[in-house]
Amino acid sequence: MAIEYRHLEWRLIIVALALSILGIVLIYSAQFDATTGKSLNFYYKQIIWLAVALFGLAVLIHLPLRLIDFFCYLLYGLALVLLLLVLYIGHSKYGAARWFSLGPVNVTPSDIAKLALLLTLSRFLAYTKLPPESKRRLFISAALTIVLILPILKQPDLGTSVVFAVLLFSLWFWSGLSPVYIILIVSPFISLLAAFHWITWIIYLVLLITLILFLKPGFIFGFFTVAANLAFGVITPFFWNRLADYQQQRILTFLDPGRDPRGAGYQIIQSKIALGSGGLFGKGYLGGSQSQLRFLPERHTDFIFSALGEELGFLGTMVVIGLFAYIFYMGIKIAARCRSKFASNLAWGAVTILFVQFFVNIGMTLGLMPVTGLPLPFLSYGGTSLVLSWTLVGLLVLCDYYWTEY
Amino acid sequence: MPSYIISKTARVIIAGGLLSIALFILIGGLVYHQLIRYREFFEQSESNRIRVQPIVPKRGLILDRHRQVIADNRLSFTVSIVPFERVAGVTVPRISELLDMDSLTVEKKAAANFISKYIPSPIRRGLGPDIISILEERSKDYPGVTYSVESVRRYIEHISAGTFVGHVGEVSSEEIKSPQYRDYRPGSMIGKEGIEKTYDRLLRGIEGTEYVEISARGQIVGVYEGKKRIPAVPGNDLILTIDKDLQAFAAAAFDSLGHNGAIVAIDPQNGEILALASFPYFDPNLFSGVIPPEVWQAVVADTNHPLLNRPLAGLYPPGSTIKLLTAGAALQSGLVTDEDLLKPCYGGMQFGNRYFRCWDAAGHGRLNIYGAIEQSCDVYFYQVGQIMGIDSWSVFAGQCGFGKKAGIDIPGELAGDLPSSAYYDTLYGPSNWSPNLVLNLAIGQGELTVTPLQLAQFYCGLANYGRIYRPHLLKGIIFPDGSSEEIAAVVSITLPFSQKTISILSKALKLVVNGEHGTARGIRNKKYEISGKTGTAQNPHGEDHSWFVGFAPSDAPEIVVTTLVENAGHGSEVAAPLAAKVINEYLSHEMNQLAGSPDSIKR
Repeated sequence: MAIEYRHLEWRLIIVALALSILGIVLIYSAQFDATTGKSLNFYYKQIIWLAVALFGLAVLIHLPLRLIDFFCYLLYGLALVLLLLVLYIGHSKYGAARWFSLGPVNVTPSDIAKLALLLTLSRFLAYTKLPPESKRRLFISAALTIVLILPILKQPDLGTSVVFAVLLFSLWFWSGLSPVYIILIVSPFISLLAAFHWITWIIYLVLLITLILFLKPGFIFGFFTVAANLAFGVITPFFWNRLADYQQQRILTFLDPGRDPRGAGYQIIQSKIALGSGGLFGKGYLGGSQSQLRFLPERHTDFIFSALGEELGFLGTMVVIGLFAYIFYMGIKIAARCRSKFASNLAWGAVTILFVQFFVNIGMTLGLMPVTGLPLPFLSYGGTSLVLSWTLVGLLVLCDYYWTEY
Repeated sequence: MPSYIISKTARVIIAGGLLSIALFILIGGLVYHQLIRYREFFEQSESNRIRVQPIVPKRGLILDRHRQVIADNRLSFTVSIVPFERVAGVTVPRISELLDMDSLTVEKKAAANFISKYIPSPIRRGLGPDIISILEERSKDYPGVTYSVESVRRYIEHISAGTFVGHVGEVSSEEIKSPQYRDYRPGSMIGKEGIEKTYDRLLRGIEGTEYVEISARGQIVGVYEGKKRIPAVPGNDLILTIDKDLQAFAAAAFDSLGHNGAIVAIDPQNGEILALASFPYFDPNLFSGVIPPEVWQAVVADTNHPLLNRPLAGLYPPGSTIKLLTAGAALQSGLVTDEDLLKPCYGGMQFGNRYFRCWDAAGHGRLNIYGAIEQSCDVYFYQVGQIMGIDSWSVFAGQCGFGKKAGIDIPGELAGDLPSSAYYDTLYGPSNWSPNLVLNLAIGQGELTVTPLQLAQFYCGLANYGRIYRPHLLKGIIFPDGSSEEIAAVVSITLPFSQKTISILSKALKLVVNGEHGTARGIRNKKYEISGKTGTAQNPHGEDHSWFVGFAPSDAPEIVVTTLVENAGHGSEVAAPLAAKVINEYLSHEMNQLAGSPDSIKR
């Protein structure tokens, strides 16, 4: 199909390209060996992946939106099959089964699943005639999400599961559900956490009931919310106290790997040192002692932002945050402008996925977020992640191009 | 139901607000780390890195009943590789040269003991300060190599201590997969046998963690202040029921015989094991560090089987020591009374188409049960066995603890074979065996096999009004805070005999040592009375095994001793005198001990 190239949102593509190239430059530095003057071939692989991603983008922008719409459920089924398969025949790292090895290429099904869920939820929430607060609508969309989350939790990959949950809530919100409902739906889980001490739990319950009385969400909804909160709160201490010490530790480490002083706890210390020691201007490209002396773990993947902070300083990190902020700004603008509900949901969801990964990853390098293994879009080494990020950008460009269509 | 659907404009405003807050948090974090705390982080990054160092807790001591040390720890050095810091082609070749190991072994060790990239994997334990001083001076030449002070187990030698304490060793890759050890760290030391294994969780303590700063040259600068040190919790000390002096005495007395065998000494009033020794024995210290393969080969290849724990896992026919079971069963079922005289012994008796010999070809004449036990007359017990029949005998034997484990608190115990008609049906085919097999069983020959521990346990019952306390080794626990806990004795078996039966048996046992014709009259002494029974177990592979089970003082027994000496002939010649020595040592020592009981730990 012929499209008018000058009407494409080129600024978005250029910003994404800038981030990707910076990523390759940083991967080169992170795997640079001063004694041989060479870098391991990670950067080279990433260049090839970028070429693949750009080719994918070129194909994507020539597709009509309706075709994408049509393939939603097919992709959803494929993602589910791959997620189940990876549990049995996948490769693992740190005990979590996460990817397939196809010759030289590693494929992570959870990245495909992110895309599949985005398309499926966007489509369902756009075309259903049910009102935003309809229980059936909430139930079906939640079920679509949970079916994909379960095999991912089994891997176990808490980070990706959180991306999925946030995507669901985010799309509920965007398709018209009041944030109040979302808060009430999430509330039993907050109750679960608040119940670790009875005082916090009582305070929490009083606040919750006040909120419900004030908002009057309806008797049945209010009743079930309170009941679920009470049940979750009572269950937690009951089961928790029956767990052995090491079982409790294992759960806490699952929720926050930084607790484990021998694994991720070490990573956070080194990440903070690397970031902080960069100062305003950084130590210069290839000059980061933490990255170059290999003190910084996972410096080309999960902790690439720390390597950036060390070598290019506060100015470098601000530029990257600025570029991301621009993508988010453009994404929200596109989502708000689209006339078709599907395209609007799609754009909004794409921004959500990029944003959650961005925020959790950088928060992790600062020790604000748990170490979950979520990559930084565009910059972290990893083929499927890069292709996914570019596909999301491609969807944004596409939604923008067809914004007038219904 | 009110609707809270909000307009698109409101949504965009909320989204923009949340986005701004999130960006503000991240920028704030970066300002704090990169601008405000820049100096501090810069200094840390210039010279130092952080290493995670596990703190190995002190393993609890193993003490005897008088708190004398049986197992303690000596300090030694462990060299490890930190996987994250190692340099390919440099670390392994250099460290293997230094430790005189081949690089393949080093690689295997590093892989087997891998925990995390940042935690040192132990390569070799038990090293002296010479190697460490080289590592300290030339740390730059050994990138990723670190060392730690670790305690190595040290056991008292020459007392056959391995029989009950067992030994420690590096946790194997199979063990780490079992649910029991799931929370253990690869490369850590665990109890492999005996007390060390059963009470490993009590002894090992809880590992701590510290963060140390390492200079760019690889030297330890000091403790990293930014992260709190988690101290190790030392293990608990264990007090055993063993009397170390008695154990040492028994081991020396047995060693002088030059035979294989076992000694078990139990306090019948509570089941506390006072001595438990297997001969020959190996030095458990061999296993504490890294065992040289040639030493291990020698231990495994030794035809005297030093690894066999004879008191618990050595299976032998009990010989005449089992006649007390046969006698008790017959009295209890009313088949004989203590007055009844059976047919006379002329050195043997014809049963069906076979002539069964008595051990004494001269014959014993007409005997009641006292005389039969005193002189250990086989013909008397053949007759009892025939009247009783195999299954009745077998049921009594089972109720007296034979054919099942005594339940001692260390691993490796065997149950032995207790024949019954069902047993022979499967062995030879239904009714394809002679009912006269019971005659052999009644005198302790044939297919019945027992462990020295089972036999000692049975005699504990005879010495203690029929109540058998479960034989056990743990007497108490001393916690790191100094408080302690006593382990209570439990009754595991009550003999199926009335007090009248037991008093008849006790009287007969006294005669074995003190009677005119007693088979063990050679061990009689003037200070106190000993009761007991000799046994001679036929051994198809060579000379008969010599048994004695006895207790003293006869009327208020404080100790039951079982001695088994392999290939030493008649029980009265070797096993009985040995048991008498052990009893004498204990009773004379006990009387001295009453004067003052030491409560502090002696070395």
